[in-house]
Amino acid sequence: MSKSENPFGELLQDYIVECLPLAEQIADTFVALERQWRAGEAGDEILASVKGRLHTVKGNSAMMGLTPMQDLAHALEDACALLSGLPASRDKEAAELLVGGAGLLVDLIRDAATRTDRSAAGRFVERVRRFLASAAGREAKPAEDRRHGERRTVGRSRESADTASSVVRVDFRRLDALLEVLGEGLIQHSSLVDLYRRLLRRVGPCTEIGELDLAVVTLEKTLKRLEATLMETRLLPVSTVIGRFPRMVRDIAQAEGKTVRVEMTGGETALDKAVLDRLGEPLLHLVTNAVVHGIEQPEERKAAGKSAEGVLRLDAASVSGRIVIRVADDGRGLNEAAIRAKAEALGLEEKAIDGAQLYSLIFVSGLSTAEGVSKLAGRGVGLDVVAGAIHGLGGTIDVTSQEGVGTAFTLSLPVTLAIVRSLIVEVDRERYAVPLTHVAETVRAEPEAIREINHRGVTQWRGDLIHVADGGAILGTGSSAGAPRRFYVVMTAGAKRRGLMVDRLIGHQDIVVKGLDPSLGRPDVVSGTTILGDGRVACILDVVRILDGAGHAN
Amino acid sequence: MPDSFLVIDDSKLLHQMYKVIFSQGTLKGSTVHFAANGRDGYGLLAAHPDLTLVLLDLNMPEMNGLEVLARRQAEQLHPHVPIALVTTEGSEEDEARGRAVGAWDYLRKPFQPPDIQRLVERARAYAAARA
Repeated sequence: MSKSENPFGELLQDYIVECLPLAEQIADTFVALERQWRAGEAGDEILASVKGRLHTVKGNSAMMGLTPMQDLAHALEDACALLSGLPASRDKEAAELLVGGAGLLVDLIRDAATRTDRSAAGRFVERVRRFLASAAGREAKPAEDRRHGERRTVGRSRESADTASSVVRVDFRRLDALLEVLGEGLIQHSSLVDLYRRLLRRVGPCTEIGELDLAVVTLEKTLKRLEATLMETRLLPVSTVIGRFPRMVRDIAQAEGKTVRVEMTGGETALDKAVLDRLGEPLLHLVTNAVVHGIEQPEERKAAGKSAEGVLRLDAASVSGRIVIRVADDGRGLNEAAIRAKAEALGLEEKAIDGAQLYSLIFVSGLSTAEGVSKLAGRGVGLDVVAGAIHGLGGTIDVTSQEGVGTAFTLSLPVTLAIVRSLIVEVDRERYAVPLTHVAETVRAEPEAIREINHRGVTQWRGDLIHVADGGAILGTGSSAGAPRRFYVVMTAGAKRRGLMVDRLIGHQDIVVKGLDPSLGRPDVVSGTTILGDGRVACILDVVRILDGAGHAN
Repeated sequence: MPDSFLVIDDSKLLHQMYKVIFSQGTLKGSTVHFAANGRDGYGLLAAHPDLTLVLLDLNMPEMNGLEVLARRQAEQLHPHVPIALVTTEGSEEDEARGRAVGAWDYLRKPFQPPDIQRLVERARAYAAARA
């Protein structure tokens, strides 16, 4: 039924907000139920716990005129009711029916606002009907009795309804707009500070100057509070992304002939929606890798003295201002010998590489492709892409592994991308912002300390040789033809490091990130722009891409 | 005196729907109280003896609709306030059990605004007949 036909069409978003989590809980419950059945347990409690939710989804869908979802929920209710009465029918086919149906319900509700094809619901309802008929035939019990049995059941399992009646829904773009206003406030504050300093120089200390100082400091505190509050409103629990994983893992594992249990903690850990939106894909990649390549076949596990069922752990936590997410499996672990052999074949064995450094090679592009280290290590391909995505978010990724015991990836991420603490530098009279997460050190450049090897500058830094590139060459403003640049910034992303020669270091500043106008295209070396305290526009350097070699052609 | 209503339903979506309905036509301007479970709903019922109509969902956590009705009957709390039991594809059994504990009428999901309007008109007539 379309919006115009249903009197509650305007409430479609409310429908999704209420029913999507319910459907996801239903789907997760069925996955748990399947596991219990496989373990030979009855799962009666689980079966009973899902009824109230199904009932609510059915009723709400009916109210919205969303017949496919209503019918689907109803069919699942019928199937549950039948299975409650017929333990003999609790087999693989029944479990697949429930899990598949709930997954479909999740998809339909998620896409309820778009005109997607919902015919799959009808086909599924038909499948349930056939299943019910055959199961009933096996038990030779009149179907009508069961239907009454089902109706008599009153669902009471739903968790206490959300009592937060003070919650409002806000378009995320409005929060972005608010952030822009805050950014302008921060800029105006900086110009005020600048003005205060000039005034102080001209008139010298006096009572009024003291009061002005206090006013400026107080304003800064207020703006910081505003920033903190605003950031909080932009946060979503990480479960909005990883909540779907148990079901996906189950499907992937099944396709691989494996059984994998997902254990999660910290789903309530909050992250900026902008970060979360870009985190789903890399995380799913890690999870898929763990199931496909990390966890062994059941026979192999049993032979190794492990349980036939693999365990995948997803743990999220907030650790000193950053979000740490750990994806760990109890599979076969990385193949250290294979990585070492490959690294040696590629001429990377110059130094004795210890375990951690060795494992980090699986993130290196070129090593992780096709016949690269990653594949040999039993991790499939594409870990370089995952690492790139995490670095692009201003995050880091590390791996630890023990052969035969398992592998764990640890991601550390900023809570937000909207405000980034950065180092402001000047190159050829232009200002640039370098996110501090990527700055290892700033160094005064002694001309004799930088040598040229193969037409590339190198210098000794913390006992290693690192490349140092000219800022003007990278950023396309020319080369250091004039006075030599006085500083270099050591930038890092993952295992990569490189120095960037700059003219001046201006200082640290919290910058509000603005996107680039898409019509202008995206320069290789720039990820966004910001406005500085004096009103000047500064480009934010895309350190990850610069370290990947962007800007060389200039 | 303007109409006042009590909605007892654990679904926030249903609350929104009732708000839409009670802002239309002759229902515009009426007062609506909301409760998210039977226990809170019972408290609101106790606090408002002059309700025109109570819309009570059957399936709820923390006291379902039948439990609310049974307690109301046992305690004789405002027995003159009509309570309509709201069910999804309600069966005759549910209806019979509701009637046994004093449900005044039934409303089946999915319902539309006119269904509520008719129910309210009947409730008003019921109140007038009692007066």
